[in-house]
Amino acid sequence: MGRRILIIDDEEDIREVASLSLETVAGWEVIKASSGAQGVARAAEQHPDAILLDVMMPGMDGPATFRELRKNPATAAIPVLLLTAKVQGTDQRRFADLGVEAVLFKPFDPLTLSAQISRALGWK
Amino acid sequence: MDRLWLKFLPEIRERVATLEAAAAAVTAKTLNESRREAAQAAAHKLAGVLGTFNLTRGTDAARELELVFSSSSAPSASSGKHLAARAAELRAMIESRKSSD
Repeated sequence: MGRRILIIDDEEDIREVASLSLETVAGWEVIKASSGAQGVARAAEQHPDAILLDVMMPGMDGPATFRELRKNPATAAIPVLLLTAKVQGTDQRRFADLGVEAVLFKPFDPLTLSAQISRALGWK
Repeated sequence: MDRLWLKFLPEIRERVATLEAAAAAVTAKTLNESRREAAQAAAHKLAGVLGTFNLTRGTDAARELELVFSSSSAPSASSGKHLAARAAELRAMIESRKSSD
């Protein structure tokens, strides 16, 4: 089934690789945002099926962006998956405690990223 | 993927250069806070992206450097040689990456 995913990441290389992966491997539509603030606005405008959200960003970081998304009734129900390069257990627990649907790790495998997202969200 | 690799290679090289400069500053005992933070950020970004381009060992080396530069206390001057060697390994991996598609 065709899905629409919003990728929020300040790093252009990650946005581009994730976007290429989801578009070519899964055939999904991808919307991109380069900051937390831009991502919150895009989510409210375009209502994606899910959001892939980077943790470490300048200005509004991933957790702050997630809280903004949850505050707005227009975006509160959109599933959010955090994407992080942090591998320490304490960080992982802290991120999971935020209430996101899943935490995915960088580096990701471009060939299986869409399958990871589908599995985390229970998509067929 | 190779098109994207070539597109972002200059940026990836810059991040490695940041790590090389920081390692040299460690040896020279001139590592300041802003250079340490820049090295930590460069290592973090490399750790996140290199494995995506099939350079898993690059991610491992970058993670080690991120950990070293994330401590607010400066690394000892004697560790500078090791840090420089890890940064040089990263550069070699990046320059010798083979096509994946």
